[in-house]
Amino acid sequence: MTEFPTIFLITEEELDLNDLLEQITLPSAGAACFFTGMVRGKTDRDGLLSQTEFLEYDAYVPMAEAKMQQVADEIRDRWPTVEGIAIVQRIGCLYPRTPTVLIACTAAHRDTGVFEAARYGIDRLKEIVPIWKKEVSLDGETWMEGEYTPKPGE
Amino acid sequence: MRDHVGEKSISMDVPENIQVQDLKTILAERYPKATEALEATLVSINREYAFAEDIIPDGAEVAMFPHVSGG
Repeated sequence: MTEFPTIFLITEEELDLNDLLEQITLPSAGAACFFTGMVRGKTDRDGLLSQTEFLEYDAYVPMAEAKMQQVADEIRDRWPTVEGIAIVQRIGCLYPRTPTVLIACTAAHRDTGVFEAARYGIDRLKEIVPIWKKEVSLDGETWMEGEYTPKPGE
Repeated sequence: MRDHVGEKSISMDVPENIQVQDLKTILAERYPKATEALEATLVSINREYAFAEDIIPDGAEVAMFPHVSGG
């Protein structure tokens, strides 16, 4: 049986979407679903427009890598048809419009769960992978904090 | 919490078979300014999430951090 590629990476380098796609595309792949998130420069907060200068990302790298592997394992448990998986988080100071995160899944066909698998991947990353961001705006600096509390076994 | 403690990491000796909640109590006594942050913090032992009554094994790497916000 062919070994399916799994990539997880925490990097300060620019995300190269084409290269990541190349790395998770097997000859049997016919579909890829990418989710990428970027720094939002303008946020509507109850009708007030808030401007972000940049986000500063930090990570507990060894644990974050282990938890990214866990997210990939969970995707494979739920969608065995998924072939390649890439989970990448860029860290450091990132400015509006810059991609910061990427979850990509490949499979033979589009109807085998790749959309759901990528969605699941980004949701889980935001729940259990120890990465944090600080928003820096003209008004000051705020560490953003998630709401999810991991349960035993996560 | 890093700001309250003034260090990114510290090394310390603790009683054998200490639980996560007891470690938090010790830290709160040593770093009173961090008391509030300690209550809300997530904890990991050897890179796995840990909870109040989990026992910290010998030589463990323990981390305390806020709820995650990656993406």
